[in-house]
Amino acid sequence: MDFLYSYIALAEIYVLLGLSTNLLVGIAGIFTVSQAAVFGVGAYIVAYCLMHDVMGFVPALLVAAAICVVLNVLVTLPSLRVSGDYFVVTSFGIQLLATAVFVNWTAGTGGANGLPGIPSPDVFGYQLESSHQLVLLTTVGSALGCLAFWLIMRAPFGRLLRAIREDELAVAAAGKGVLRAKVSAAALAGAFAGSAGGIYATFLSFVDPSSFDLDASILLLTMVVVGGARTLAGSVIGPFLLLALPQVLSLIDIPTSIAASARQLIYGVLLIAFMLFRPQGLAGEKL
Amino acid sequence: MSAPYLQAAGLEVAFGGLRALRDCSFVVDQGRITCLVGPNGAGKTTIFNAITGFLKPQQGSVSFKGRILDGMKPQAIVHAGIARSFQNLRLFQDLTALDNVLVALPDMAGEEPLGALFRPLHAHRATGRRRVDALEILEHVGLVEKSREFVRNLSYGEQKLLTIARLLATGAELLLLDEPASGLSHGALEALMALLRRLQTEGKTLLVVEHNTRVVQKIADDVLFLHQGHLMARGTPEQIISDPALAEIYFGGAI
Repeated sequence: MDFLYSYIALAEIYVLLGLSTNLLVGIAGIFTVSQAAVFGVGAYIVAYCLMHDVMGFVPALLVAAAICVVLNVLVTLPSLRVSGDYFVVTSFGIQLLATAVFVNWTAGTGGANGLPGIPSPDVFGYQLESSHQLVLLTTVGSALGCLAFWLIMRAPFGRLLRAIREDELAVAAAGKGVLRAKVSAAALAGAFAGSAGGIYATFLSFVDPSSFDLDASILLLTMVVVGGARTLAGSVIGPFLLLALPQVLSLIDIPTSIAASARQLIYGVLLIAFMLFRPQGLAGEKL
Repeated sequence: MSAPYLQAAGLEVAFGGLRALRDCSFVVDQGRITCLVGPNGAGKTTIFNAITGFLKPQQGSVSFKGRILDGMKPQAIVHAGIARSFQNLRLFQDLTALDNVLVALPDMAGEEPLGALFRPLHAHRATGRRRVDALEILEHVGLVEKSREFVRNLSYGEQKLLTIARLLATGAELLLLDEPASGLSHGALEALMALLRRLQTEGKTLLVVEHNTRVVQKIADDVLFLHQGHLMARGTPEQIISDPALAEIYFGGAI
């Protein structure tokens, strides 16, 4: 049963990340490939705070979310000047930069070895140790994320973001502030990704740079594309489906040495196939 | 004497070596329909861009009701009371007609994330009220039956009416329309001209780029004739159309 719990918990953490990516890429049209970097920063902050007894889990999560809000606004700022294809390249650079920091800043991140032995989370005095307690935490976290996403989508703010994705000039001509709305979307996405990182660190009790590299960012994009852009359902279906893939592969008898690369291959094929044949994903709209 | 309603003075705009506007000056009077005519490349759309803050003239100044607009962002100019449409419409294709209008309504509650997240009921109720306003605007341009249609499912004529609905939603009093009549069928054209007249009686001032001389004759109170980025003549439609020199420029394709 522990296996099922850990699958659910991990998928729910990725739901938060999927929401974050969907908000930026799907709804606001800011095509970022660096959400995993923000995710990583959230994870390292919470790991550091808990390992060094700086503060408890909940305040650490809030601090991580706040820092990721600022960080994501900063890394998204180029999108206000350069659009479309150019921003993808900028964002790509930011992701590589972040990975370099995660790998090389040994004092803060443990370098390539990562940070082992992150304490389990405490929530209002309760220490969450068992796997079903942790699943409760990830479920509450992702449910709050889904609620926030739903509220945004049905509010005028969501409509404004969709309009911006379609035509920024027309939004400006309608008397609305494009800059402000884009910064707000980036801030929200940062809060989502940072919280996901914090929960991820305590859930695995170990973090290393490989969870937050370019592959992870592309996995997030694949989740949004396969699940479906711009919808809540798409952001939930994508992570659950794609994270089930490694388990399905483990049922097939292939050597472990090629299992990881086979997974990457399948993710890539899925991404291309969906873009070509079903751009709206399983439960979404065309990206 | 009070300040002119809209005044452009000595506008200069150059794109590289091309001088799109040269010492361009004119006045638009309140409550009138002013048509901006001239051959292709005369600078008509550039004037719109310069007035609404989409581009910054190298020289010259635009003032509206005595207020200098120079250096203001498009957003601020809309709030000052001037809104413009685009020749290529620029509607939000994946939104419904109603949502296109709602996006342009000012002072919308829940249009920033904190309001949307922490005061959802307030935002929801406010949206309900604004929906009524938006439907009224759609009714006004004759699109209320199409409010739930996505833009891509509307006919071209309906899309053109929707751009006007979106302008009305901003609450601006001076509307700049870029070729609202082009590509319309006869029936749609009549409906459009009637709508523009109606907007005038309701207190809007219109500055309209128009190529169709029949439309200009029917709706214009004043005509501004633009040639090579400079205001060449100003008058009633009859005066402008009966001037052989202008006709030569307009129809003769003279440089």
